[in-house]
Amino acid sequence: MWKPSGYIIGNRMVTNKTRQHDAVFRAIADPTRREILTILRGGQETVGHIAENFRMSRPAISKHLRLLHSAGLVVTRKRGTASLCSLNAKPLRLVDDWIRDYETIWNESLQSLKKYIEEKQ
Amino acid sequence: MNPLKVIDDTIVQEVSIKAPANRIFGVLTDPAELMRWWASEGKFRTTHVELDLRPGGKWRMDVEGGCGPDRTSSRVYGEYREINPPHRLSFTWNRDGEDSPETLVCWELEEQGHATLVRVTHSGLSSDALLKRNSGWPLIQSLLLAYIEQPAG
Repeated sequence: MWKPSGYIIGNRMVTNKTRQHDAVFRAIADPTRREILTILRGGQETVGHIAENFRMSRPAISKHLRLLHSAGLVVTRKRGTASLCSLNAKPLRLVDDWIRDYETIWNESLQSLKKYIEEKQ
Repeated sequence: MNPLKVIDDTIVQEVSIKAPANRIFGVLTDPAELMRWWASEGKFRTTHVELDLRPGGKWRMDVEGGCGPDRTSSRVYGEYREINPPHRLSFTWNRDGEDSPETLVCWELEEQGHATLVRVTHSGLSSDALLKRNSGWPLIQSLLLAYIEQPAG
């Protein structure tokens, strides 16, 4: 199937990272999931201990954890019968990348505008 | 590692162009001229520009590029907010197929002697819409900052 490799804005091709980008944005858009990330800043925690901080059921918390896991923001490890969760902030770089892409795009667009106007007169 | 720019959700860039503000404003608002400088270099080209230059009017630009499996086309579009020739032009900015919030672009032109200072401001890149009006952004920033500042390895 044909799949675009990126977006073009101005004179720049921005690599398509949309799928992972969307997963990360979706994961951090929810207050409960952000609360989980805050808890995990302090270090690794069991699912049970994370769930104790919330009023919602443990399966509901597990569901949030799965979403965080699939976005790559939470890493889960087994210790005995318990699941230990820890934070992985690396995918958040995608949020930063998105802004950086635009920095480059506008920089190049301004140069292109300048060149076009100054060379034409 | 680069210093984090993510702390701010606004990009501001400037360039000085040796031309009167009127001329530059025209280039920013004329479809035929936009087609010639926007996505004009190398392998990319602007294929379609449509502008309804009045507050609330829609604009869109289509760009094509690449070849073979890399061939792709993209569209950016939005709505004009402020049209104040030759000083200020602002419009909303959306990228086709992107599940991210609407952002705002503003061009400001300021004549300085024989040249014009051209400033472009792109704001709302980490807007409330993105984080659904929750106060999530400071957390994301601090997590990211902690991650970037941690020793490598």
